[in-house]
Amino acid sequence: MRFAPTEDQVDFRDAVRALLADTCPPEAVRAAWGGRVGEETGGGGGDGRVRAAWSALAEMGVLGVLVPESAGGLGLDDEDMVPLLVECGRAALPDPVTATAYVAAATLRDVGGEVADGWLPRLAAGEVAVAAGPLGDAPLAGALTADAFLVGDDAVLRWIPAGDVELEPLESVDGSRGLARLRGAATAGTALVEGPAAATVSAAAADRAALGAAAELVGLSERMLAMTVAYASERRQFGVPIGSFQAVKHQLADASLAVAFAAPLVLRAANSLAHGDPDAGLHVSMAKAKASSAARTAADASLQCHGAIGYTVEYDLHLFMKRAWALSAQAGGPDQHRARVRAALGLR
Amino acid sequence: MNVVVCVKQIPDPADPGALDPSTKTLKRDGKLILDESDSYGVEMALQLVDAAGGGEVTLVSMAPNSEVGGLRTALAMGAAKAVLVSDDALKGSDALGTSKVLAKAIERAGAADLILTATESSDGYTGTVPEMVAELMGLPSVTFAKSITIDGGAAKVQRQTEAGYDDVECPLPAVVSVTAGVVEPRYPSFKGIMAAKSKPVDEVTVADLGIDAGAVGWAGGGQEIVEVAEAEAREAGTIVEDDGEGFQKVVDYLSELKVI
Repeated sequence: MRFAPTEDQVDFRDAVRALLADTCPPEAVRAAWGGRVGEETGGGGGDGRVRAAWSALAEMGVLGVLVPESAGGLGLDDEDMVPLLVECGRAALPDPVTATAYVAAATLRDVGGEVADGWLPRLAAGEVAVAAGPLGDAPLAGALTADAFLVGDDAVLRWIPAGDVELEPLESVDGSRGLARLRGAATAGTALVEGPAAATVSAAAADRAALGAAAELVGLSERMLAMTVAYASERRQFGVPIGSFQAVKHQLADASLAVAFAAPLVLRAANSLAHGDPDAGLHVSMAKAKASSAARTAADASLQCHGAIGYTVEYDLHLFMKRAWALSAQAGGPDQHRARVRAALGLR
Repeated sequence: MNVVVCVKQIPDPADPGALDPSTKTLKRDGKLILDESDSYGVEMALQLVDAAGGGEVTLVSMAPNSEVGGLRTALAMGAAKAVLVSDDALKGSDALGTSKVLAKAIERAGAADLILTATESSDGYTGTVPEMVAELMGLPSVTFAKSITIDGGAAKVQRQTEAGYDDVECPLPAVVSVTAGVVEPRYPSFKGIMAAKSKPVDEVTVADLGIDAGAVGWAGGGQEIVEVAEAEAREAGTIVEDDGEGFQKVVDYLSELKVI
């Protein structure tokens, strides 16, 4: 098994990193936050979208990576997509790339049919955004601006165009989440898969949602650490940079180690999903558990090492930190995924 | 319409550069990338070819160690092919040596209607190569173009000046240098990135171009780098405590400089 990125995958990643550095700087993420501009909560008057970045990603081909070539995509797989989601995390891009271009694109590709034929070309072109999650009461990220919803459980997987379902907006710690609960989803839209097959397809969608969040968490963690290392190298106390103090160094080393262990698990899980490994679910849970914990460690260390300024909403760190908190709980928190790993290993 | 774009592959400006103490020149042994100032020429060439409804963009570059990293970026943007001159004999080339090589490489690239360059590279900054290439090729040259339109056999150029721009016109083929920031260079698409790997790069040596190795590189250079020294640190400014009459000190100082 080899899951190191290929030359093409490295080039794709670098291209996306450069694109997002230009089109999704922290000011754009801040502007995407909801709430009144300049409000104490960090409101930016936005709706959780950075449309300049979204349309540039569509033009580059990122949103069509998993869409078959016949539907205007590139027909590539999880291993090509997941490293790009790390980059979305690094930029704290709030737009639903994971839900739309990963979870929904892979699911529609796999189930096929009329809905897939109609929507996949629009997904690849960046014309539509999708919110995805379990069928039920769980809050869906990006729901407020979604054009369609993909929700499923063991019995059914539904595709629901926006407008066919009622939304109940919810608050999130991350003001760019566009969070809402769906009302009446159980009977809305089209059933893509029903019966025993639904469990498998819904589980695959849930695995991709978890892996996408894990990938974004790795990118967020690396960015928070880079910001903090830069700050600790520049900020001086007692005549020396604060990064020279052991108490600061050790926290950052611990966080760096946690992220370095999580990142390969994310790539490995992508390899397993791409190749239909029967243990793919286990690998996804290992990745999500580690990435969630690593992101919390990185966020804690970053906040601590920044001192009081890290707490202010005007400072960029909070954009990354709050996204990390939100994503570490999304698609299953670390405890839930550890429990799945324990069960898979036959432990109690 | 066929456009040749001269592009330089330079050490990544994000990494701190280092000088080779033996040659006193910039170390270029690591990975090289497309000079950002050249991405504007590439974009402009692609737009001109599009507007003409046919033709292709060819890149010409001179780089050590058969480096193609920066060329692949421009090929991914949409250029069709490249000529790369890579030869140990080119080490230490000055602006004139570089121009001789580029002029020959442009001829090798095939009949071009227009040759675009940046105004200067981001690592060497001599800013003289475009005009030297034009002279060596016997072509007219326009510098600091902020926009180019092709009208029949002529290029209409808005040439940037301190006050605004001049409208100039020159017959084709011509060498035109393009200022940075005048067009928005496109991001390479994934399809472009994949396609770039199979686009032809014609790698040649100095001998292939019919150039005498003694006329380029250190051997042919009309320059020698004698010494490299740190730039002088700026002197500390004068701090004036404002006792309510501080403005007078500012006025006196400006009068002394004869500014007011």
